[in-house]
Amino acid sequence: MINSVILSYTTFVYFVSFLLYLLMMVMGKEIPGRLASILTIGALIAHTFAIILRWVESYQIGIGHAPLSNWYESLVFFAWAVIFLYVLIEWRTKNRSIGAFASLLALLIMAYASSSGVNSQIQPLIPALKSNWLITHVITCFVGYAAFGIAFCLSLMYLVKKLDSSKRKSIFLKAIPDSGILDELNYQMIIIGFILLTIGIITGAVWAHSAWGRYWGWDPKETWSLITWLVYAAVLHSRMIRDWRGKKMAVLSMIGFFCVIFTYYGVNFILSGLHSYAT
Amino acid sequence: MIEPSNKKGSSPLWNMFSSMKLTLALLIILASTSIFGTLIPQQQEAMRFARGLSPGLLRFFELLGLFDLYHSLWFRTIIGLLALNLVICSINRLPATLRLFHAPSRPDRSKPFENLPPERSFLVKGGIEDAGNRVADFLRTHYRGVVIKSAAEKDFLYAERGRYSYFGVYLIHFSVLLILMGGIIGSLFGFDAYVNILEGDIVDSVALRGDTTSMKLGFSVYCEEFSVEYYDNGSPKEYRSDLSFLAEGEPPMEASLLVNHPITFNGITFYQSSFGAVPGKAHLRIRKEEGDPMESAIEVEPGIPFSLPGSEAQFQVLDADNNYRGAMGPVAQISVQPQGEGKEEIRFLIFKDIDTLHTRYPEAMFKSPTLNPSTFKPYTFFLEDLESRYYTGLQVSRDPGVPMVWLGFFLMVAGSFMTFFTSHKRLWVRVSMSQGKARISVAGRANKNPVGLERELHQVTHKLQKLLTKEGEN
Repeated sequence: MINSVILSYTTFVYFVSFLLYLLMMVMGKEIPGRLASILTIGALIAHTFAIILRWVESYQIGIGHAPLSNWYESLVFFAWAVIFLYVLIEWRTKNRSIGAFASLLALLIMAYASSSGVNSQIQPLIPALKSNWLITHVITCFVGYAAFGIAFCLSLMYLVKKLDSSKRKSIFLKAIPDSGILDELNYQMIIIGFILLTIGIITGAVWAHSAWGRYWGWDPKETWSLITWLVYAAVLHSRMIRDWRGKKMAVLSMIGFFCVIFTYYGVNFILSGLHSYAT
Repeated sequence: MIEPSNKKGSSPLWNMFSSMKLTLALLIILASTSIFGTLIPQQQEAMRFARGLSPGLLRFFELLGLFDLYHSLWFRTIIGLLALNLVICSINRLPATLRLFHAPSRPDRSKPFENLPPERSFLVKGGIEDAGNRVADFLRTHYRGVVIKSAAEKDFLYAERGRYSYFGVYLIHFSVLLILMGGIIGSLFGFDAYVNILEGDIVDSVALRGDTTSMKLGFSVYCEEFSVEYYDNGSPKEYRSDLSFLAEGEPPMEASLLVNHPITFNGITFYQSSFGAVPGKAHLRIRKEEGDPMESAIEVEPGIPFSLPGSEAQFQVLDADNNYRGAMGPVAQISVQPQGEGKEEIRFLIFKDIDTLHTRYPEAMFKSPTLNPSTFKPYTFFLEDLESRYYTGLQVSRDPGVPMVWLGFFLMVAGSFMTFFTSHKRLWVRVSMSQGKARISVAGRANKNPVGLERELHQVTHKLQKLLTKEGEN
């Protein structure tokens, strides 16, 4: 199918972007960064096109549905959301140093999606997934996960930047923005992720109410999404306590992203429950 | 907002519950204890897991309620403490918030103009009054609470937006309480049950979950048909139950129940949840080989005794299975009760696919009395066909807490947008004389999002400059 072909090229372009962003930081030069930005935007357009094409292809084989219904499709959308948010941030902040981290994250997700263990076939919707809530639920959750992914990158950068003492003057560290900016941007990303996760959990609850007859059932997926929500709620509240800003928030934000990964990956493959559509 | 220092004279307990550090601790405790419930099998699934535990460990798990963690007292206590913390924090902070909300506007402050970047002020032709009026017009169309104060050789204009944003946080916290209350109302006044209905059967009660009792519905549900539709690749496409709801003194309501499309009747909601099949009528062929040879075909319902043709004996299908041991196909267990005192009942299995089974299993196996279709001499039983009857598995529930939870959800989203995406922005414009021209300076303050405020101040300065210079030239 053509969409998979386009997506594998896109993955390769993310790899090249990652190398160029890295080159920019190591050399401290502007040109590789500019090239990386152009390639990333180009790849984002191709990525978007492939998702739309997959949607069209599903209708052509008579089982039309939005390409958000199985493990492969969710990975592809997750990577798309990471790059989409990153491009927005690059445009707003005019800073490219997050690019190396964001393109690496998208690359890893896409590389995993194209591995042989993941079925990239378009599959028909099982009865439980036939709902108008599918699109809203999946989009809010995954854009939220992507925001948390970017926040994870920012936290990592923050902690790396903290190593930057006056003695060690590496160009790489100099390319990373000021820790104050990182902290603020991290907080902004967590806010976006938190609101989207909240809407994601709420749409999931309303959907579960009509599919299974209860809005909350302590299913592992539900519980882990709540755990993630609680951790990020703690991050947001930690802003109100003076000495919890900065390093502690960065660490808590990273723990939050591990919870996201476990909610997304761990619950499907390690635990079992109602949500294991993908396995 | 920085944590206010605790008031003197308030009790230590109150101080503890109004602390944000407690909030943080409770959120993290709740998150980490929740993990255990996803690792330890809960409720119905716990049985098999529990059998593998040593007696000491089992007692420990039971004592802590780890097999039903989310409904255990200690877990609910943590949630309760968090709710208490939330309420007390909100009460503690409310006076300060109200003071901010009702704070009078102070147009003639000069502090906001300290260290004003040069790009936030510009010169225009004309006097103070003329420029001041135009700025006031602009502010009135874009902001609220415009106040003008004239001082010596200076005009101060003040405007603001988003005073209500102080209450966003309270809305979120209130929504959490609403959701918790909705949950409590649901568990107190609602119920959660299930029922399996065979095709062609009618039920008037359902089995409560987590309980051994059944509950009368007050009406009957009849299942006419259950059907499954499949895609070409074999995965299920649709599960459908054709149901009729029958209440006394009401016309019956016929409806098709689908996954994701529940049906509510007399306040009770039914959800398509599962399905299964039980063996139905067995089509038998019975051959008598001695005396007066005969062969007859007969259809029997499981559990109903029939007399054996050409004999005094009675027989019945005791049990049946659509796929014996998951591999041997349809099977029926036949029980024959010979006539006469003290004669023992004879039981044996008959397989539908006996011919293929003969090729797969040793011949001797079917000579054993329990597997030999000719155990009751001189008769041989054959299973020609085994019908199956589908049943539909329905989730049945009523939850009066749902509207409150839904309202909580709505307020939580609305409150989040209010808290994170709006802010109380205050704007000061100073008009003063400088080098025979009017100097306009724009300054501002916001309770959050300083970057957004900077952007807005930049835009306002730009717009005012455009407006005033253009009109000044005419």
